[in-house]
Amino acid sequence: MRIRVRKKNLFYLLAITSSVIGAVVTVIDTYISLEYNINPWSLCLVIFIAGIVITFILSVILSIPIGGKPLGARIDPSFPGLRLLRKEEVPYQIMAGMGNAVATVGYFFIISIYQDPSTILSFFEVVILYLLITESIAEKNAPSMAEVESSIIVTFGAIMASFSFTGELNLKGLLIVFLVLNPAWVVFSIYQRKLKLLRINGRHNDAINIRFWNLFFTTIFTAILVYFIDTKHFFAAIDALKYWPIMFLSMGTTFFSYIFYIRALGLGKASVTQAVKSSTIIFSIPLSFLLASYIPLSFYESIPQLVIKVMGIILVIMGVISFALTEVRAYIFIKAKTGHPSTDLINDIWAIKGVTAVAAVAGRYDIISKVRMRTLGKGYERIIRELEEINGIEKFEWHSILKEWEEI
Amino acid sequence: MDFINMIKAYILVLTYVGNLKTVLEEMRKIENLESIAVVAGDYDIIVKVEVEELEDLMEITNKIHSIKGVKRTNTQVIEKEIRE
Repeated sequence: MRIRVRKKNLFYLLAITSSVIGAVVTVIDTYISLEYNINPWSLCLVIFIAGIVITFILSVILSIPIGGKPLGARIDPSFPGLRLLRKEEVPYQIMAGMGNAVATVGYFFIISIYQDPSTILSFFEVVILYLLITESIAEKNAPSMAEVESSIIVTFGAIMASFSFTGELNLKGLLIVFLVLNPAWVVFSIYQRKLKLLRINGRHNDAINIRFWNLFFTTIFTAILVYFIDTKHFFAAIDALKYWPIMFLSMGTTFFSYIFYIRALGLGKASVTQAVKSSTIIFSIPLSFLLASYIPLSFYESIPQLVIKVMGIILVIMGVISFALTEVRAYIFIKAKTGHPSTDLINDIWAIKGVTAVAAVAGRYDIISKVRMRTLGKGYERIIRELEEINGIEKFEWHSILKEWEEI
Repeated sequence: MDFINMIKAYILVLTYVGNLKTVLEEMRKIENLESIAVVAGDYDIIVKVEVEELEDLMEITNKIHSIKGVKRTNTQVIEKEIRE
């Protein structure tokens, strides 16, 4: 039986689930970097090699048909089973693979320097603003004030939540985050989203195949990167494969975190998905606390620091909620003038920023379009203005969506 | 199932005043509805359906018609679609 849920709820459910699993991954990765003496360059390669193996095993298991559908269809309903890469996916996967490889090399370099990885990595949260700017440029539409406010609240909240009094604020670490990690992550996110929005055989692309093939390309790029940095790290990575159980645990957990993250990317904008995913910081703090007594995690908190962290967490939650309240969607029913080819009309409407679907229909109307915008006032005014400029539209009717449920 | 040849349509639904909640509850029980949106405008609900045959579309329309509180429906069959 298929379940019908509200799209908005599904988006937040997926992004938050990904964050919770992501918090577990953060703890495992911290443990690996503290407990195993592997240099960061080798570690990031060995983890991808182990990752591709465990991801392949998990994808094959998830391809087993149960009740006429692959097991993985319960995690992503679009999953048809593990398949070969499609030609149209290749350029996107290359970009996403390069982004992931560069971001991960930076990430492992940082967590190997600092015992509490959240210290410098807190500035990774600024990636929300990077994504917001990228999307604003791509959509030729300046972000709304509400959008800017929400992004800044989440970003500053996440920085406060992970800021450490005892940890040093290293310029080198900050530069790696701002100039390497964040831009690489933007490329990774944007292209993963493009992949999720691709339609394969008339149906949505699935997160499991996207993840598997992304790891394939990422491993190749990481191997090349590590080989050229120093060949001895490359061979040390092969040697580190003897620690495969913990690597499988880390990358097996990461696999599920990414499946939910990629699915969320297909439902919302990359910046908003990233903002919600920043709640990883909220879950990783108590998790690190809980596990500190069982595994050798170095974790020290003073009372003022805890107060600041709690304030940061509250800001992240408030920011995410305020993001959630600023998206507006609508259907526009369009009646065309006679003598205008509907194909041209569809393309003209599709070119309007914010249009997420255009359908030529047979019935009382000629075209039904679906739009998404940040604020009703600004978005409505702009879309209406652009529609009025299109030749061939006789009249249109605007229907703002108040609530929506979608089949998952 | 061949997803390429699926028939898609929008069903625009108008309800009698005060019946929206109960109509929605009943509608959410119907199979093959891709999405259900409550809207503000000339219509109250916009349903998107995806079926294998036109006969299935008729069946869904009939089911919607049989819900108490539905005043009128308007079915728009999708000929071509571009989406994200």
